[in-house]
Amino acid sequence: MASQNMDPAAASSTAALKGNETGGSVPKGSVSKRLQQELMTLMMSGDKGISAFPESDNLFKWIGTIDGAQGTVYEGLRYKLSLEFPSGYPYNAPRVKFITSCFHPNVDENGFICLDILKEKWSALYDVRSILLSIQSLLGEPNNDSPMNAAAAELWDNQEAFKAHLHATYKN
Amino acid sequence: MIFRVVTTDQSSLLWACVQDMAKPLGLQVCSKPWELSLYELHRTPQEAIMDGTEIAVSPRSLHSELMCPICLDMLKNTMTTKECLHRFCSECIVTALRSGNKECPTCRKKLVSKRSLRRDPNFDALISKIYPSRDEYEAHQDRVLEQLSRLHNKAALSSSIEEGLRMQALPQRVRKPQQESDNTTFSGGEDNGDTRSHVSHDSAPSHLTSAPTGHTPEAGPSRGKRPRVSDESGPEADGDSRRPPWQSPPSEIELVFRPHPLLVNPTPGSCLVHRYVKTTANATVDHLSKYLALRIALEEQGGAHTDGPPDVDYISEKQYTIYITTAAGQFSTLNGSLTLELVNEKYWKVSKPLELFYAPTKEQQQPSPQVHKALPTVPTQL
Repeated sequence: MASQNMDPAAASSTAALKGNETGGSVPKGSVSKRLQQELMTLMMSGDKGISAFPESDNLFKWIGTIDGAQGTVYEGLRYKLSLEFPSGYPYNAPRVKFITSCFHPNVDENGFICLDILKEKWSALYDVRSILLSIQSLLGEPNNDSPMNAAAAELWDNQEAFKAHLHATYKN
Repeated sequence: MIFRVVTTDQSSLLWACVQDMAKPLGLQVCSKPWELSLYELHRTPQEAIMDGTEIAVSPRSLHSELMCPICLDMLKNTMTTKECLHRFCSECIVTALRSGNKECPTCRKKLVSKRSLRRDPNFDALISKIYPSRDEYEAHQDRVLEQLSRLHNKAALSSSIEEGLRMQALPQRVRKPQQESDNTTFSGGEDNGDTRSHVSHDSAPSHLTSAPTGHTPEAGPSRGKRPRVSDESGPEADGDSRRPPWQSPPSEIELVFRPHPLLVNPTPGSCLVHRYVKTTANATVDHLSKYLALRIALEEQGGAHTDGPPDVDYISEKQYTIYITTAAGQFSTLNGSLTLELVNEKYWKVSKPLELFYAPTKEQQQPSPQVHKALPTVPTQL
């Protein structure tokens, strides 16, 4: 866990959280409350293949990991993502991008993901868990009609070649 | 929580009426067929309970019914969508409609305006009946979240490490004379510098004391004074469940550790005993797992040579997976980063010591099949 390896002397998050409740604006407090709830459910659920945790004391920026699903070309590969939550969360979608570079028809070279639920199909009911599960399932089932990475979309039909290229270029 | 479900057979009467009406209507207005969902088509009427039977509902399943899916908190000023009957806090759904698509956040049914919603005072009344003091409930929620936020609060962690070290040192001083005449090097509270160096790496306290049951084979570390270690501090551990959350000294938690009955073969061996462990409540499942790996490694080494600790570099919390039984009698894996206190609070409400199970981790855990069902475009109702 990243936070545990950091300087223990640096800042205290309780103070920051308390600040939200008392001094800060009301909406911000409710956002961090919801994020804490999500964190708790995520830790309780023990989902295999996905995980997420706040990057540091800042509850509004998380690092998530996704393991490629079994039976897909991504099996055995692990991807890191960053999730940034806007102050309008959960009414507005978080900004999610790959940190680990990902060769995929719907992911561009900067890690931006083309996924409807992160854009116009966002619903306040989605949470970190459903986002990560959706991206995990997007890995195995890309939408090749509107690719951001044309080369990946073209190669997709040849799964053997795709896998070879994917594993050759994978950098953790 | 126990509810008396009072139902008259009005609902079944109503259902009969609807069916009666449906027939002629369906014949007359063929152009507008009844839109019944699959669930509605296949459901069988539930029998009305007439005889004061009491039905128990677990707090957790109840909570999911009373929770607003947007703020994940208990419903406040409930609003129900008129068409699809999904419930939200008034504030939450109004904000959602203002800032997003004009559709039900749960099922994407079109919601034209606020007029597609109605207040649900009955539901509010139901909630206030079940949780008469909402403040108390919210205070409890806050406490739980507070504990959680401590998990990634370094200041608190480092102070609890100090606390852990101090408490490690305490019983050691008392037992020192006996220890020196005894060459069981790896005893409960101290587990030597090894554990302590882990402490500084993991930034969390782990002064675990353990006492395997009497049938332990003569593995060096677990003999002799072991049980007394936990006896000494016995009384403190009473009333675990009611201890004040996260007040200055880290509270302790007692737990029974057993091999997973299905995953661990009952071959004779030192790693299959029931272990009684007492540790601080802010130790995590990972700490426990690592501790277990270390213990078992030590015990396997046995009395063979006690001249030094085994190579602890390869001891890892990944070697063992920790499970707990759920109400349904199934084993569920515990996430490594949970504190034992949270585990106790979430899963173990009775006053018996917490019971956990362990099994060697399978290499290459496969993602569960349901993962594939979560399609990106279909919102899953939580």
